Amino acid sequence: MACNSSGCESGGCYGREKDNGCKVVDVKETVRLCVKCKSNEPMTFGDGGSDDGRFCAECFRSNVYGKFRLAVTSHAMITPSDNVLVAFSGGSSSRVALQFVHELQVKALKNYEASRDRSLPVFGVGVAFVDESAAYPSLSGGMSDAIAWVRSTVLSLSPPEKDLHVVPIESVFGSDSVEARDRLVKLLDSVSDETGKEDLLLHLKMLSLQKVASENGYNRLVVGSCTSRLASHVLTATVKGRGYSLSADIQHVDARWKVPIVLPLRDCVWQEITRLCHLDGLKTVELARHPQSGINDLVSSFVALLQEENPSRECTIVRTAAKLTPFYFNKIPETDDSCVPMATQRRLKKFNLKYDGSMTTEAFCPICNGPLNGSDSSEDESDALYDACCSSCRFQILPQEPSSLDHFGSLLPHHMISQVKHHQKFDSQTYLREKIKDCLLLDDEEAV
Amino acid sequence: MQLTLEFGGGLELLCDSEKIHKVNVDLPNGVEELTMKDLLSWVRTNVIKERPEMFIKGDTVRPGVLVLVNDCDWELSGQLETTIEDKDVIVFISTLHGG
Amino acid sequence: MERGEAKSKKAGGPPRLCCICNEKRPVLKRPKTLQQICRECFYEVFEEEIHQAIVNNGLFKSGERVAIGASGGKDSTVLAYVLSELNRRHSYGLDLFLLSIDEGITGYRDDSLETVKRNELQYGLPLQILSYKDLYGWTMDDIVKMIGLKNNCTFCGVFRRQALDRGAALLKVDKLVTGHNADDIAETVLLNILRGDIARLSRCTSITTGEDGPIPRCKPFKYTYEKEIVIYPFAVSNPHHTYAYFKKLDYFSTECIYSPNAYRGFAREFIKDLERLRPRAILDIIKSGEDFRIATTTKMPEQGTCERCGYISSQKWCKACVLLDGLNRGLPKMGIGRARGGGVNGGDHKKETKAGSTVKTLETKQCGSLDF
Repeated sequence: MACNSSGCESGGCYGREKDNGCKVVDVKETVRLCVKCKSNEPMTFGDGGSDDGRFCAECFRSNVYGKFRLAVTSHAMITPSDNVLVAFSGGSSSRVALQFVHELQVKALKNYEASRDRSLPVFGVGVAFVDESAAYPSLSGGMSDAIAWVRSTVLSLSPPEKDLHVVPIESVFGSDSVEARDRLVKLLDSVSDETGKEDLLLHLKMLSLQKVASENGYNRLVVGSCTSRLASHVLTATVKGRGYSLSADIQHVDARWKVPIVLPLRDCVWQEITRLCHLDGLKTVELARHPQSGINDLVSSFVALLQEENPSRECTIVRTAAKLTPFYFNKIPETDDSCVPMATQRRLKKFNLKYDGSMTTEAFCPICNGPLNGSDSSEDESDALYDACCSSCRFQILPQEPSSLDHFGSLLPHHMISQVKHHQKFDSQTYLREKIKDCLLLDDEEAV
Repeated sequence: MQLTLEFGGGLELLCDSEKIHKVNVDLPNGVEELTMKDLLSWVRTNVIKERPEMFIKGDTVRPGVLVLVNDCDWELSGQLETTIEDKDVIVFISTLHGG
Repeated sequence: MERGEAKSKKAGGPPRLCCICNEKRPVLKRPKTLQQICRECFYEVFEEEIHQAIVNNGLFKSGERVAIGASGGKDSTVLAYVLSELNRRHSYGLDLFLLSIDEGITGYRDDSLETVKRNELQYGLPLQILSYKDLYGWTMDDIVKMIGLKNNCTFCGVFRRQALDRGAALLKVDKLVTGHNADDIAETVLLNILRGDIARLSRCTSITTGEDGPIPRCKPFKYTYEKEIVIYPFAVSNPHHTYAYFKKLDYFSTECIYSPNAYRGFAREFIKDLERLRPRAILDIIKSGEDFRIATTTKMPEQGTCERCGYISSQKWCKACVLLDGLNRGLPKMGIGRARGGGVNGGDHKKETKAGSTVKTLETKQCGSLDF
């Protein structure tokens, strides 16, 4: 019950099974065997996790990998003709994502070499690392070491060879690195809310990943967000009044971006990921980040507390949010059906996700790229930027002084500003469309 | 100095179910003015009899506890920095109780 | 407080003035707007906002009979007071009643009922008390004796909901109002997310619920911060006020002694932590709750009536009858079903609290007081 639907499939969240599992162990205390293969000795992690001592190393590993693979295949995340970019921060989740994508690629290569006609190409993999030292000066010291470490990690994952793109976060402001840095610092300084500043950085980071992906011919961006991370996101979004756009953020696929984002680890919990890193000796680098503060931090500690009280809580939270209606862009756009294997098409049907078909009416906040709700529209504002933003960004990112809005807008990356202009155009278009709706032929009629 | 402390919203249960406490607080050594910060630690030691965690969190009151100094929200008078004078009335009310 | 006026030096610098009237010394920082306002203006905006919530959402029609669910706690006490004031002031034309449920919890409900009885006299509103004992033949004390502290809140919640409806029917009222405030609703949104209850998540932010049932319920305090409800009684000391003698509204504040789940307490505390960091977050959570994209097909199952008692029910028997049947047959586990997965019952309470004892905890909001 705790984890069904599209969430944690094959026994990811053991919390609810704990009672049964424990009873079995109690009865035959003498020999403890892996609950899956019933032959090997189960591992004990000693980290207090609920599934401690249930699986042997092999079964544990294949269970986590299985969830990854199911997510990839059932949502058509990676197909043979794709060129995927893995966002790698150096942390555990993205390390595991990188590892799994690599393993998938190795398997695809083997199949390719073994097949007679060699009809299915092997998908390409690249890695992107965002250098945030311009935003967090405290990172500058360790950054060159970290980059060297990332480089050697990526190098160790070949063949097949993978390109590494090290992207300075300020690159979204332009190619002149000094000027870009300066603008980034000024922009961040003008955001007074700590949480708003953190969130703005996340948006900028996504923007820089998108930039490097589209400039280098990638058509997928793999992000390692796991269940635990998404559970926190569900609550932070709720607390920030982003209930409308929330369902867009927690799906397996998010194709509102130019390069669609996929979350293959969406159904794995943090504990599994760290255990896997430990088990497989996957090294991670924890950059001394700016400590989180404000709302995001408060939510993280709240989720940690809940998780401690009930180990399946994170799954339940994500499961709740997964019941919200996704958006039309929460699936891989069907441009080239031929590349999606039949099995995947069948699976997609099986999951039968309910999408909102009203794709013509969605407008996005230029800052966070969240779909806008009717309740976000401001009444009598004259500022285009303020008008175009969602209520959450208005509150925590935009300056409260209306007179500073112009200056703030001038600091934003060009990409965001062009969104504002797009928004205006969009607005007038929908307005026009509304007005002449009755005179227009319906789309269906046109098609006939 | 003479102060009147009032506990409400269930907080009185932490101090012998007495709602109103007339107390005499001495200034800590070497200090010229009593602040709420000083008073809170005094209350914690001298008035609260059980479960102090229901009253204090960190160095201030637990979130959800309202503080009024002479019927004025302490958020207006500088919270922990509010200075207390003789004959002041300080009210603590928990909002964590049922409705 | 007259003394307070003289002490404006406290904040240092020139004394600030109320953001609204720009005349008097502020006594309160409003969580909703961060405005610093004086006693008189607070009193005014507090009541005016509730009036606006009532008018804008069309909560009442003239001539309606309205029952106020009165527990003796702060929310329902302030609600009873404010509603009778507004009814008079704006000529709503409502017949107001107080409706209390006596769960039969010694040392908790008997004391709070005394408060409600005083309120009856103070506001001149007719009071109806219904007891679990009369309705179901069991008091909560009896039930806890039988089933212990596990799941007792399930009984209490189910019984109370029905008891309120029955009381409302007895009073022949058109509507039932409850004192749920913005903090409560934000907490409910979070709890419904935490336990994966999408159907309740879709309903819990509505200001009026149960319009398809026998008696609609509404929450005039939906946008009212708990902080202001608690402070309000201190503000009601305005000399030209009808209840001038009424320095402090008389309400009862103790927790239910059979107090419940750990994670409800966590959620409560989380809301308070949030409010300290960003007061607006409470309203933002409610906004999220209203904006969630929930397919209309996730609605509740079709309502019929219980074959046994005639109460609305989607099953053959209503939940209360199922629970009651279990109790009467000595099988209290019946009907609890898949009660709370994964041990969310706080283990600690069990040790401390004995049935019928008068141990009081203020850990969490009274269980079952929330109408999910």
